[in-house]
Amino acid sequence: MSSRSLLWLVPCLVIWAVLPFVLPRNVADLLVFTGIYTVAGLGIGLLLGHCGIVNLAQATFYGLGAYASAYCTVMMGLPSIAGFIVGAVISMALAYVIGRPILRLTGYFLALGTLALSAIASALFFEWDWLTGGTLGIGGIPKLDLFGFVLDRPSRYYFFVWIVAFACMIVAHNLVDSRTGLMLRAMRDSSTAAASLSIDLQALRTKVFVVCALFGALAGSLFAHHVSFVSTQSFTVDRSISFLLIPVIGGATSIPGIVVGALFVTFLPELLSKLGDIHQILFGLALVAVVVLMPEGLVGAFGKLRTRLARRGGGHG
Amino acid sequence: MAEPMLSLKEVGHSFGGLSVLRSVTFDVPEGGIIGLIGPNGSGKTTLFNIVTGYIRPLAGTVTYRGTVLGRDTIQQRGLRGLVRTFQTPQVFEQMTVLENVMVGCTKLTRTTMLQDLLRTPASRGQMREIRARAEAACERFRLTALRDLPAASLTAGQRRILEIARAAVGEPRLLLLDEPSSGLNVQEIEDLRDWIVRLNDEGITILLVSHDMGLMTVARTVHTLYFGEIIATGDMAAIQRDPRVREVYLGV
Repeated sequence: MSSRSLLWLVPCLVIWAVLPFVLPRNVADLLVFTGIYTVAGLGIGLLLGHCGIVNLAQATFYGLGAYASAYCTVMMGLPSIAGFIVGAVISMALAYVIGRPILRLTGYFLALGTLALSAIASALFFEWDWLTGGTLGIGGIPKLDLFGFVLDRPSRYYFFVWIVAFACMIVAHNLVDSRTGLMLRAMRDSSTAAASLSIDLQALRTKVFVVCALFGALAGSLFAHHVSFVSTQSFTVDRSISFLLIPVIGGATSIPGIVVGALFVTFLPELLSKLGDIHQILFGLALVAVVVLMPEGLVGAFGKLRTRLARRGGGHG
Repeated sequence: MAEPMLSLKEVGHSFGGLSVLRSVTFDVPEGGIIGLIGPNGSGKTTLFNIVTGYIRPLAGTVTYRGTVLGRDTIQQRGLRGLVRTFQTPQVFEQMTVLENVMVGCTKLTRTTMLQDLLRTPASRGQMREIRARAEAACERFRLTALRDLPAASLTAGQRRILEIARAAVGEPRLLLLDEPSSGLNVQEIEDLRDWIVRLNDEGITILLVSHDMGLMTVARTVHTLYFGEIIATGDMAAIQRDPRVREVYLGV
């Protein structure tokens, strides 16, 4: 790591560590959600920014993770870790089985395929009330307990969630920066040429879809242990759309962009809700503004601005 | 006689009733440079697409190193050493020149997704190897000065050279070049000619499609395709004297 990026990292870490102690409880709570959404958004960002795939099914895997944690801990009395593992394994298996056929589609058709998956899963979460509790949901999910240290306050859970989110960011960065990352970007830019260089497009897409599902399930389990109650309302198609907005707003090819996107979708509706009934319209307008004015997302726009300023500065010098 | 590297037997294809290849038969001997000429629409690119697996022929067989290529995918053919370039260069536009060439090396290494996610020593080692190979290829194809530029910013000629470098770096056995000199300037065509000869000296068999009669002189044997049929075969001098070829090209 360069000394310049270290220079940035140290104050950022200090601010990160201090935030939950200086901010009101509700804001700390929103920051916990930002961390959870970052984990879910990372998977979507990998698919969108590096494979060119629009995935509208993340709420399905998010739901599977959440219900697995709820069912394992509340109904079966198993330790929390079991819920995380079961959620991850089921989500990855489902992503593999469903991914193989639907990832043959491309563009809008693939996006619609994933949307259908989300709609079906949302309906099943509602119908299979023997498993999910339906609209009544499953309550009483215990707070996470790390070797006797109970993460029962937002300020405590904040650290846990963000450490998981940072670990996921590192893993996502590793992938982008690897041989697989090269092949992904090649496939995104020209699938015809990528195939001629022996890149197995179908297998690669499926693997990234499985990784995306893993992030979704992980985020879902984190969510369940944070709110202690899960029900079908949390895993609808709307949620899939909010997850897709994270990389679209922040910048799909940038990992910090996912954090920015997650901050946008968690904080902005909350801030705008103070303005009364028109808050949803305002959120919609803000979304349209970002997508139209900044097609590379907020981080991409910031990068462009910085380059322009540097060039102007260089011109004067 | 040694077995040919590639053998086409009575290959035929049509698009919606329009016949584009009719009973095309020829061999590409191992270590050779074979040329394929023909006016626009004569079926050259369709033939490339059939050999590399983008299209399945409606008739005939393609045999590569003794094995009939039936349902083998594009990727399987690539892994066995069949690599092509495209008539319209297909570069990875948002990636840099160096990254483009690095993609060409990915098939020479093996890592699992898990190794890459966890950045294991094996994964890092393979990336170092890929980068080193790609840097050497950039040097060889005079792309070093452009290596950090996005491929989208390259000229048509530079894109073509990049595509050839990317194909050559993956250690092909049979390299299929589709109109490689199109869009290149005189100096670049000279360099291209030189690279083709050198790649061939290194043991790579080359099947070359080109309109450029000057470049075609590197080929030991040239087949002339006209409306999906081979109408003449021989070295370039013989082809240029062939009355049917003269009629097709010059109308005399």
